[in-house]
Amino acid sequence: MDLINKKIQLLIDTLKVSSDYDFSGYSIKSFTRRVAKVLETYNIDLDTLTRRVQYDVVFVENVVKEITVNTTELFRNPQSWQAIKYRILPKFENQKTINIWHAGCSTGQEVYSMLILLNELKMLDKARIFASDINEDVIKTAKKGIYVYRFNMTYLDNFDKVIRQNPYNFEHYKNVPYSDYLIIDKEKDTISAKDFLKNRVTYIKQNLVKREQIFKTQFDIIFCRNVLIYFKQELQTQMYRYFYQNLKNNGFLILGYHESILGQQAQRFNRKGLYYTKKLV
Amino acid sequence: MAQKYVIIGGSAGSFQSITEILSELPKNYDATVFLCLHRLKHVRTGFVEALSIKSKLPISEPIDKEFIKNGRVYLAPANYHMYFELGNSFSLSTETAVNHSRPSIDLSFESAAYIFREKLTAVLLSGANRDGAHGMKIVNKYGGSTVVQDPEECQVKTMTTSAIAVTKINHILYLKDIIKHLKKI
Repeated sequence: MDLINKKIQLLIDTLKVSSDYDFSGYSIKSFTRRVAKVLETYNIDLDTLTRRVQYDVVFVENVVKEITVNTTELFRNPQSWQAIKYRILPKFENQKTINIWHAGCSTGQEVYSMLILLNELKMLDKARIFASDINEDVIKTAKKGIYVYRFNMTYLDNFDKVIRQNPYNFEHYKNVPYSDYLIIDKEKDTISAKDFLKNRVTYIKQNLVKREQIFKTQFDIIFCRNVLIYFKQELQTQMYRYFYQNLKNNGFLILGYHESILGQQAQRFNRKGLYYTKKLV
Repeated sequence: MAQKYVIIGGSAGSFQSITEILSELPKNYDATVFLCLHRLKHVRTGFVEALSIKSKLPISEPIDKEFIKNGRVYLAPANYHMYFELGNSFSLSTETAVNHSRPSIDLSFESAAYIFREKLTAVLLSGANRDGAHGMKIVNKYGGSTVVQDPEECQVKTMTTSAIAVTKINHILYLKDIIKHLKKI
């Protein structure tokens, strides 16, 4: 093993015994890159980092926030959202409630995407939505629902593709104004979610890899996109087992566009294009 | 013969060269080819199809932790960084762009260099920024072979000249010779 890998392993071991965080199931490559970023931010070397995480609890929290990746956008991968709109949500039309969990919700753009879509389908009132993340800062941002407008023009493109257009029938176009859901302030350079969407969600700080049974209910939809890609396959398999336990029969699991269930848990789910369903026991 | 790996990076002005390379590689090509190309952010689909028209080898965008197979071409998906893992699989990441690029050629090259060592041939084509230069340096460090398209022939030279400035390049070739070279490895 290279010296750098040995030192990274020592950091992982140190965090495991001196904090609540276990990164041993993380992909080494991306973990190492994230640690390099931490070293740059704090202008310290790896040995110093490893020493400091042993006694500085606040520092550990900040390091964890930097290590985890928070990329997301409104209606990210519109094709996936079209599947949610036309293939998944209609299945719950006649159900009294619909339980949804955003596992690894980051700054909340996809939580708001779901809220907007539910409202369009007149299902918002019966939705119970939970959103969890390891990073308290991103949860704060998610609760506020205020994002930078510039550089995020894809948000509106994606909105058009999912909310306005119908990929199955191009003549069917619904001219939903952005202002029904979003407030765009070009002067402040912000795009924000409207208030009526905000109080619908229960946010929870949660370290997903601990796989704690924190919910008293099972879910119709678990939404976990581009989170498990940072884990090794063994940990991914354990996460799929955990999601299986937390899904209702025939419940839906939605992963990122380039993710797929590999390994022994694959047989417990049905793959249906851009999403999975839990097989009946 | 030991398994061989080819990784090709390109940006502005490289699309035609890529299709030309793919059209020339034989059906039974005994290596795995990775493509790491800068793409327009909003063009997320259709690229595999466009490249497949001319290619005799099957092309796909890998999914995370997918096992790497011989005789295939893999294209780094738009908006993801593409890494390689010990045990011969991919891993993907949505970390921030590097050199304004995701996928980043530097990151893919660096990761491939470390995993495939002397079994790797890295090729850099036409492009408009410095992405890939650092990656080439790492390929060198781990014993891989480096090939750069002759800047004279590149529509945009920045990428290739940056690489040449930063590290030792084993072969600086015109496209037709790059193709010959790749057929021989």
